[in-house]
Parts: sequence; C-alpha cells; structure tokens
Amino acid sequence: MAKFLGVIIDEKRMAAIKGTPLEEKVESIFGGALRRLVIEVPDDLGQKVIDQFTKARFDARGFIEETPAAFKRAIFKRIAEMKELSAAVVEKVLAEDLEKVKEEAAKEDKELPVPDIDISDVLELQKNPVQKPA
Amino acid sequence: MPEVRIKTLPPPHGGKLVDRVVRDPEMARKLMQKCSAVYDIKPTLFKGNPVRNVYREIMSVCYGFFSPVEGSMTKAELESVLEKRRLLSGWVFPYPILFDISEEDFKKLGVGAGDWLLLRLKGEPFAILEIEEVYEIVPGDVAVRTFGTPEKNPEVVKVPFDQKHTGYNIYCSLNPIILAGKYTIINEPKLREPFNRFWYPPKRAREEFEKRGWTTVIAHQTRNVPHTGHEALMKNAAYIGDVKPCDGIVVNAIVGAKRIGDFPDEAIVEGHEMVHLAGYIKPDRHLVTFTLWDMRYGNPIESLIHAVIRQNMGISFHMFGRDHAALGEYYDIFATQILWSKGIPSFGFEAPPYAVDGGFYIRPQNIEEFWFCPKCKEFAYSANCSHKGIYSRYSGSFIRGLINEGVMPPPEIYRPEVYKVVVKWWQKFGYPFNNEKYLKEREERLEVDLPHMELPAHLKK
Repeated sequence: MAKFLGVIIDEKRMAAIKGTPLEEKVESIFGGALRRLVIEVPDDLGQKVIDQFTKARFDARGFIEETPAAFKRAIFKRIAEMKELSAAVVEKVLAEDLEKVKEEAAKEDKELPVPDIDISDVLELQKNPVQKPA
Repeated sequence: MPEVRIKTLPPPHGGKLVDRVVRDPEMARKLMQKCSAVYDIKPTLFKGNPVRNVYREIMSVCYGFFSPVEGSMTKAELESVLEKRRLLSGWVFPYPILFDISEEDFKKLGVGAGDWLLLRLKGEPFAILEIEEVYEIVPGDVAVRTFGTPEKNPEVVKVPFDQKHTGYNIYCSLNPIILAGKYTIINEPKLREPFNRFWYPPKRAREEFEKRGWTTVIAHQTRNVPHTGHEALMKNAAYIGDVKPCDGIVVNAIVGAKRIGDFPDEAIVEGHEMVHLAGYIKPDRHLVTFTLWDMRYGNPIESLIHAVIRQNMGISFHMFGRDHAALGEYYDIFATQILWSKGIPSFGFEAPPYAVDGGFYIRPQNIEEFWFCPKCKEFAYSANCSHKGIYSRYSGSFIRGLINEGVMPPPEIYRPEVYKVVVKWWQKFGYPFNNEKYLKEREERLEVDLPHMELPAHLKK
C-alpha cells in the first residue's frame, strides 16, 4: 500500500511555485481553509522516513505525519527545485539533506515559540466551570 | 408491547462496584499495624523513560473503575485473562493487572504470601497490598500474549508487536516478581488541579447521572484535544438513545504516561471542557471525566477495558471509531468494530462482548468516520457522503504536524477556544508537548498529592 507525504502550502510557498505545473496540483482541504501538495511514496520509502525521526508515524489515512518542520521545509524546497511530486523528491532529501534537517530538527524541538494570541476569553470562561472539584 | 425506554443505568460489571478506599484515619492506622514492610512505588521504565506507574492501576481498582477486579492478579487469574480474556469468576476482563517488583527489592522486603505490604507514594503511606501469592512471570511472554500475534489472532493482528508499541513495551518492562493480592487505599489522595474537577469515579458518576436525571448515557473515549471531527462524532453518536437521543455525553479521558509529542493531559481534559464552556454542546448534557490508566494502545483489547470502566460508571452506550485506541498498524483499523459487531474467536469472543457469558450491558455504537465535506457543508458521516476527492479526513497527527509548522489550525479543524486551551498549556509546559522535562516532572508530581500520615513505629526502621 502506498504512503503519502503532505506539505502545507502557505502564501510564500504558493508564490514559489506560481506558474509551474505544480500550481495545478495544489489541493484544497477543509473547504479551502488549507492547501497542500501530496507526494505518493512506496511503503519501504515511507518506512525509511519514519525511521529517521523519533516522533514520526503513519496516521490512519496512510500519511507520514509528525516529521520535523525542517523536514517538510526541505521536502518543499526540493519539490520547487525538481518541479515534481515523485518519490525521487523524498529520496533526494534523505540522501542529501538529512544531516542538516536533523540539526534543525534538534533546535526546533526546543525553540518553537508559543503563538502570540490573546487567550483571555478562555481564561474568563474557565473562571466559573460548570463542573466543580470533587 | 416491549418496553423501549431505558429507565435505569446498567449494573456494574460483575454485579457490584468495588470500593476499597478507607476514609477513616483510625481504621487506616489499624490496618497499617498489620503491615510487615514498606515499599516505595516506582514507575515502570522503558529505556529510562517512565511508561507506567502502578499507582494509577491501584487507584482505578480501589475506586471501582475496574470492578470486579480487586487487586493484583494471581497466577491462575493471569493465565485465565491471557487465555480467555475472562477472570476466574467468568467476567470478561482484557488486561493483566499486576503488582511487579524486582528480585532485589523482593529479597530486601522479605515478604511472602500472607503478609501485608504498605505501599508508599510520594513519601506518604498510600495503600496496602494483602499478599496472597508470589510468583514469577516472563515479561516478554506476557506482552506477546496480551496483544496477540498474526499467527494466533489472524482475524485482526496484522504484524508482530515490537518496541515501537508503547503498550507492548509496558509489559516487556515489568519486573519478574509478581505480588498478587487485594489493594486497599488507606490514605485518600487529593487530585491536583485541573484534574480534580473531572474526577468522577464510578460511584460519583452514577450519583451525578441520577442527579441530572440521565438514564441513557454514551461514552466518548479520548486521549486527544478534541477537533471538530470528534465533536461531530460525539453529537451524532449520541442520537442512539431510546425514544429520544441520549440524555448525556460523557467524555472519559485516559490519563497516564504519554509519549513525547502527545498533548498534555491537562490540555486534553480542559480542551474537552471548553466544548461545553464555549457552548458547542450544552453543559447540562456533557460531562468531562477521566480514568487513571497508562494506555496500552491495544485497540480491540483496549476497547474491552473501556467497556469495563464506562459500564462501571453507569454508561449505557460506547462509541467506537476507526482505529480505536490504536498505535501504528499492528491491528486491523476496524479491529474494535469487528469485535463489537461479530466477535473475535481467537481472543475468546465467538460473539460480541455484549452477547457472551460474563459480558457487558454497555452497547456499542460503531462509527465509521466523520470528515469535513465542503459540498455537504457539514462534518459528514462517511457512510453518507460520497464526495471523494472533496472531503478532508481528520488526523490528530496531521493537526499536531500543523502546529509544529507554526500553522494555527483553522476553525474548520479546531474550535478557536479549544486551540487557545492548547496555547494555555503550551505557555506553561513548553514545546514539544509532553517534552522530556514535562514527562520527568510529571512522573514526580503525578496527578495526586497525599496528605501526611505517620508511619507506625514498627515500619519506621
């Protein structure tokens, strides 16, 4: 059974592939709330990716998930360079970018900043919970 | 004409709720006098990381979540559970419940059958183990027999279990000596914030249901912060009821050792609570609870412990989704639904667990999947929606991956209030979720505090 690797396409990434054949392959998901590109890979290559990262796993949809953000960045960079969505992209990243990806992944595990959003409304809701302590 | 109304809560599994908590300090002191040794509870470690703490099992036994089990299993009981998924009394029970100890600690303690052992937690007396039998296990053998193999359980086990499976590692990491016997909590722990407001042991849960006038209640198993797909599942599964939808929806989170990258339990229980605080399900129909248990990720086997827990809480129906309590691809993704629709003979179920001797009153609600369909303009049920290529399937791993890339999940995936609960605990515990520091500190802190209780003089030596 094939496995899949999805890469989220934000505005910056969309701009990088504008005008290329990749643009047509961008899928809209969750009613257009997100966009992504998907690479299909054979089982053994999927497993090879999983083996590189401690948190990585196949999810119930057959997608390779919870890989480091650095890995996804490297995959996108190679997609844009090679202008294709093939297993060769993943093989290239594993062969040539893995060391750098792992270095960056080690940093991102410590450095992902808390999103700067106002959470005062939920703290207010929690002040008077319906369920009281036992 | 047959009665279609459900007027009472289901009976406890085994007929009677276990309550082995001594609340009278004088009685506790008397019981401690009978103990001949003290043992400080230690977490079970796999490659140096905590994967289980037996205190959670002692809590779940003594507060009745695991009724009719009353303690650590004897050798004969263990064999019965592994062979037939039945206790010696004939009641269905899926997992070995064991108090394990190293050979070195066993020699130091110098206890044997007939002795009482005082168990200490966080430096304070916690519970007593009345030792009935001492025996040895081969942990790897218990692990394999607990989860099954492709050869013995071809209906649902696809590949052999290995060290990438957390539950398998728990059993492989047990100590070889088992002290079997009943547990009694003699120093009632105080649940810490925020868990205290979600603590509904079976007796209290049943009282709460009666207070609210609920007779039809459906359980939602969780180990995740709820996304909108979970919410759709809860709301739609609850239509089962009798002449009207279920009175109550009970979320029961499994709280225990977790993997690096999973959401912290604090965010899970508060995330579910936010579903009713923010008004997505009315709070008078929605109750968030939890059970202390280091999840074994046993898919169909885990669904049986869920049935035990939730029937004991007085719950009438249980929703079972795709890949229920699963990890990796060891089991068929519909293994739990196969069990609850036709049974799995190789695991001792020629029929579904509600249709066998010693089985359950709780009834399954086997749900395929909800996904987001922009054409249906709803969180669509997979058996209804045929807009292939348009709908988007949910995945907790996908959402965690989004967060890891710095992308705020859109409201089509997470209610904004629920996401803010995640951010609240992110501020407190840092990232990645359940990082090594969090897991280490959490295993010291646990979910409870224990009041100070003096040890009897003969145990202070």
